[in-house]
Amino acid sequence: MTPEATSALALSLRVACLATALNAILGIPLAYLLARRRFRGKTLVDLLVTLPLVLPPTVTGYYLIVLLGRRGWLGAPLYAATGWTVAFTWYAAVIAATVMALPLLVRTARAAIESVDRDLERAAHTLGRPEWRTALEVTLPLARNGILAGLVLAFARALGEFGATLMLAGNIPGRTTTVPLAIYTAVQIGETGSALALVGLLTLLSCVVLIVAGRLGARAA
Amino acid sequence: MPLEVTLLKRLPGFTLDVAWTSGVGVAALFGPSGAGKTLTLQCLAGLLRPDAGRIVVDGRVFFDAAAGIELTPQQRRVGYVFQGYALFPHLTVADNIGFGLRDQPRATRRERTRSVMARLGLENLATRYPRELSGGQQQRVALARALAIDPALVLLDEPLSALDQPLRRALRDELRTILGDWRTAAVVVTHDFAEAYRLGDRIVVYEAGRVIQSAPRSELLWQPASEAVARIMGIRNVLRGTVIKATPDRIQLRWRGLTLEAVNSPSRAYLPPPESPIAFFIRPEYVRMIRKDRGAPDPGHHMNLMSGRVVAEADFGTTVTLMIRLDEPGPPAQGDYDLELEVPRLVYEILEIERDRHWQLSIHRGSIQVLPA
Repeated sequence: MTPEATSALALSLRVACLATALNAILGIPLAYLLARRRFRGKTLVDLLVTLPLVLPPTVTGYYLIVLLGRRGWLGAPLYAATGWTVAFTWYAAVIAATVMALPLLVRTARAAIESVDRDLERAAHTLGRPEWRTALEVTLPLARNGILAGLVLAFARALGEFGATLMLAGNIPGRTTTVPLAIYTAVQIGETGSALALVGLLTLLSCVVLIVAGRLGARAA
Repeated sequence: MPLEVTLLKRLPGFTLDVAWTSGVGVAALFGPSGAGKTLTLQCLAGLLRPDAGRIVVDGRVFFDAAAGIELTPQQRRVGYVFQGYALFPHLTVADNIGFGLRDQPRATRRERTRSVMARLGLENLATRYPRELSGGQQQRVALARALAIDPALVLLDEPLSALDQPLRRALRDELRTILGDWRTAAVVVTHDFAEAYRLGDRIVVYEAGRVIQSAPRSELLWQPASEAVARIMGIRNVLRGTVIKATPDRIQLRWRGLTLEAVNSPSRAYLPPPESPIAFFIRPEYVRMIRKDRGAPDPGHHMNLMSGRVVAEADFGTTVTLMIRLDEPGPPAQGDYDLELEVPRLVYEILEIERDRHWQLSIHRGSIQVLPA
């Protein structure tokens, strides 16, 4: 493999792993809240989380620029305060991948949590367990396979993210060029061999991910 | 009273509005599905907040809407045996039973778990998972888990409904013994009257979100408060007649052209005016068939005489149920027949009922129970 391809692969794996970790931290509590709690603005939260699933990734990417770009709602104050912006750094690739993967995790995990018999939680409550401990000791362990399946899907999505990443992080070789972007570049400049190698690799990884997710899903059911 | 319950809970399309009390022992909430029995348990456990009411268990106020008191489920220390048991599938039997003791020192917890398992005969199952247990074993584990926390109150929601019939009977008696042993106040929900009767010291009859009678079980069996209670209890021969005359200890009534005499309950002193409609029931096992080889019936001895023909029968093995159509003109009271009788098989054979279909019947006035409207 060329040094470009190797660096793209390393970056993609790093981005996908971090995005999956962020998904776990944000997505599992979110899935729990959506599955088990009623709160003000629940429909809105649900909508915002799910939207990247149906929007074209470039649109999601555009919103991310509006939010985080140098002149963005959050990005401008940050730039003013520190002189630094997240746009066109590899962190931006992590953020884009996280946002794009989140609906997959949240939806899968939420369904798994909702399928846990509520009487089990009620039983834990009568046995003296407060809600957060019930969630940790009963609900989440029982929804484990569904949650893991969701994380695997999120990882796959993060690994393959293209559009939103391109918008927010750009395509800077060695810095923000992930595997999908490297494939795009290689095809553009006619390096078909390099493209084919990366395409094969990504296909293989996705197959593994689907098989693992399928197994976990079957055990969860 | 160890248990005082007053609840009002409005849900879409259903209102629970009940009040009852119970002494030491087991209260059985009995009634058809959807009558609000499980909702009551959830309110008692603190899993559902009533709109109004008050719940007091052994002097501890669990809930008092007026005073703004509401204990959380965690604070109530209520042992809840869920319908379907709700055992934690990812934990062993021992961990399920010890679940409510996790905040106690390890040694205490292990000792308590061991002793509860020993008392319920579960020692050999300690390392098994719920899915590896039979229905009866699961039920016992759920009960052990509820009892392990030394509950102030035990709630059991249809504890036997998941079991097969023969096992159900055996476990019903076992459950009665265990609850008696443990001497804790308990509330059992069931839609099966035999179960309510066997398990409950007091029976609270639910219908459509209301309590239609709450009484010690013996009283309920002999004095259902109304026709509705009698029908829910599955009492047979619930009939309707017309009052001729009512006194504090007797009620004369007309039914199917006959004059019947029933005992009034002095404690209730039900005095309906003449010509008012009245519901009553006759227990099928208390109707006497008069033997033809013993001379003519004596009206002084044989009360409420009538005669009729066996028009259908059903063989239940140890007893035979006979459907009798009276000789009186007019449509029969219960479809094709007027009265249902239950006779032991031996009587059926000795009297040769299979061959001889026409009989004179007599019913002691004490066996005709009047149901206040």
